[in-house]
Amino acid sequence: MKIPKTFFLLLIIPLFSFSAHKYYLSLTQIKFKPETKSIQIIINVFMDDIELALNKDYNIDLQLTTKKELPNNNVYFEKYLREKLQFTIDGTPKKFNYIGKEYENDLVYFYLEIENIATVKNIQITNKILTKHFPDQQNLIKTKVGKVDKSILLNKDETSGTLEH
Amino acid sequence: MKKIGFLILSLVFLTSSYSQITTKGHTNENKFKQMYDLLATPNEQHNASGAPGKGYTQQKVDYKIDITLDDEKQKISGEETIKYHNNSPDNLEFLWVQLDQNMRAKDSKTPDINPTKIPEKLNKNRFEKSYVDEPFDGGFNIMSVTNIDGSPLSYTINQTMMRINLVKPLASGEKFEFNIKWWYNINNHREDGGRSGYEHFPKDGNNNYVIAQFYPRLCVYDNVEGWQNDQFWGRSEFALEFGDFTVNITVPEDHMLGATGVLLNEKEVLSKTELKRLAEAKKSFDNPVIIRTQEEAINFEKSKATKTKTWKFFAENVRDYAFATSRKFIWDGMAVDINGKTVMAYSLYSKEANPLYGDHSTRAVAQTLKTYSQYTFDYPYHKAISVDGQMGMEYPQICFNPGRPNPDGTYSDRVKYTMIKVTIHEVGHNFFPMIVNSDERQWTWMDEGLNSYLEMLAELAYDKNFPMSRGLPKNIVNYMSGDQSKIAPIMSKGDNVYSFGNNAYGKPATGLWILRETIMGKELFDHAFKTYAQRWMFKHPTPEDFFRTMEDASGVDLDWFWRGWFFTTDVTDIGVKGVKKFYSSSNSDNTVNFIEDTHEGLGYTTNHSKYHYEITYEKPGGLVMPIIVEFTYKDGTKERKTYPAQIWRYTDDEVTKVFSSSKQIESIVIDPDLETADVDISNNSFPREKSDKFDKFKKEIKG
Repeated sequence: MKIPKTFFLLLIIPLFSFSAHKYYLSLTQIKFKPETKSIQIIINVFMDDIELALNKDYNIDLQLTTKKELPNNNVYFEKYLREKLQFTIDGTPKKFNYIGKEYENDLVYFYLEIENIATVKNIQITNKILTKHFPDQQNLIKTKVGKVDKSILLNKDETSGTLEH
Repeated sequence: MKKIGFLILSLVFLTSSYSQITTKGHTNENKFKQMYDLLATPNEQHNASGAPGKGYTQQKVDYKIDITLDDEKQKISGEETIKYHNNSPDNLEFLWVQLDQNMRAKDSKTPDINPTKIPEKLNKNRFEKSYVDEPFDGGFNIMSVTNIDGSPLSYTINQTMMRINLVKPLASGEKFEFNIKWWYNINNHREDGGRSGYEHFPKDGNNNYVIAQFYPRLCVYDNVEGWQNDQFWGRSEFALEFGDFTVNITVPEDHMLGATGVLLNEKEVLSKTELKRLAEAKKSFDNPVIIRTQEEAINFEKSKATKTKTWKFFAENVRDYAFATSRKFIWDGMAVDINGKTVMAYSLYSKEANPLYGDHSTRAVAQTLKTYSQYTFDYPYHKAISVDGQMGMEYPQICFNPGRPNPDGTYSDRVKYTMIKVTIHEVGHNFFPMIVNSDERQWTWMDEGLNSYLEMLAELAYDKNFPMSRGLPKNIVNYMSGDQSKIAPIMSKGDNVYSFGNNAYGKPATGLWILRETIMGKELFDHAFKTYAQRWMFKHPTPEDFFRTMEDASGVDLDWFWRGWFFTTDVTDIGVKGVKKFYSSSNSDNTVNFIEDTHEGLGYTTNHSKYHYEITYEKPGGLVMPIIVEFTYKDGTKERKTYPAQIWRYTDDEVTKVFSSSKQIESIVIDPDLETADVDISNNSFPREKSDKFDKFKKEIKG
């Protein structure tokens, strides 16, 4: 199948309108805590981007931080994160608990926890957050196990990676 | 007496490492070494203080342009006469002209330099759009390039650049006049992106045009680059000369139009009512006056005029030209007092952007002109326009901004603040780079970084509770602590950096914020920054000119800061490594002994009149920064001590410093207000803070 040149052109066009402000980056911070035998995860995303993505995917109107904010929105956030995020620790897929979210300026922070983890040698993560609606979305993953920090950058073409500790 | 004790202590510290025989040396790796290895040598054009030297020259380019907009076909055709003044000491064999629209030509190489992969999933709309047989042809069609007598002039097009082949070299001090005739198809910027283009409204069938890079424009020929003829790949923006523009723009007669320059024929293009309202606006300093109302605009958008009107402008000493036009535009304006001179703030917006634009746009323009004038120079032009262009892009006296309310007219704080933020930013670009005219093609940070910094001051002046995001030190941490293989130093060309927004906007803005708030202080910083702006107003500065002027006008040596923050990707990480506690006891022979209290933690086993803490600070981060320490005493009171960055000049990894007080210390925190972009604050407190952000949040939720 021959793919026309415009196909690629369209994919990169958002770069050009990047003349003033907009950039697309989320951060996922993953930390192993031996004292609680858990992996704690904090994710931050831009509020306007996540709002747009959820509104489109679930046909809702979140209106975050306004008086008309959709009251049960944690349901949608959790659903979205479960669709877009998978963790595999030392070869075993693990479920995470959705602890909650908070807002800070133009960011939304999500707090997730994976329990009953005794040791961590490697963390495989799949992260498709925002890549469907924002072709330039980059998802930065940082892990901390003991004193060692590792990081990888994921995007729509590379949605998963493994961090060795 | 005690001083002697300290002196002995520090002598021991300094001399303890001189016992081995040296076999290998090294070059100067000190973080405080002078910057001769990184900066261009000053010369007669850009002098050692960072000011224009006595040999500084600058070209001048004047344009006479006639433009016609074809609303039916979304096409622009134009004719221009360019008068090029060679003020340089050099003879020029050729001239270079920029053809920016060729980035959108069918044969543009821009798509070819971007690596691509097949994505897993694609938005359906985007997918369908990609399967068109003919790519959009948005390049310039050059119809003719001629001498002033109409005879053909030889030229060569190299992608987005065109060389004018002169028959004989243009001598220093001489002028050369020539004509270009062209047309191009306008891109739909809402669907295909871009810094210029049209937006189509299917409901009423109209288009809003925000038009820029629409004419072939001369490249800069300066004292440091010669011809700046780097290709326009789409990201790194523009380098342009100043000159005078005489522009006639022909559009459908029911359009409302805003453009760079003074409108010469307002009686021909505005109605009597509009002229009366405009006169009122020029006297209204508190509230915008609506010059074309929403009702009037709605009436115009119901039909399409077949006749045209020509708007005539003259713009003196501008580096570029842009305009916006639509029959949908509402127009309002208010007067702004800039040091006794009246400048007009205007907005042009469609009903879809109201009431958001009516409420805030013109006020945001006015605030920007005031705040920026205060920190740089009095805004020298007569007006600034913000257009509902649904992008964020800046041109002299006019800019295109985003943000629209919900269909029912309501809008959230977030939409409001984003719109104000971008408006301030784009209007602010009138100062950098439209007047302090740096080379954007090379150094994105010189306008975006400086502008993003001043934008913060204007935002706080607009609303003291303005939600600040980019620019504050704590907000750059995620970027700076990221994967080093995807981070470039600020001193890189815009086309080649990762995470463009953080690299060229956020990090330099934060750097200036840190200099002002933490390192230099407001007074010294503001004076130096203003000096830079005034020295290079209507000129072409280089990075060296900025770095040198900031030192020259403040008396603060900042080589270490420029080197670390602008030329490397190093990070700040300073912590407390350990604390030893001492108390003193006097001896009969007139000496004082320091005795260590080895009890764990900060608490002493017994009370003393004076407590001496020997604190070792560690610096895992590569950047040098002041150490800001907050001591909290057992009685709850606090004391701060800031050690200048130069404390790191002998040792880069750790340093020990004594702090004495008459009260016992309960805890120590480094950088308590998060002023230095410290990437790891887990080592900032002593004793170590046990619970982190996650624990705190979980406790709050679960109770």
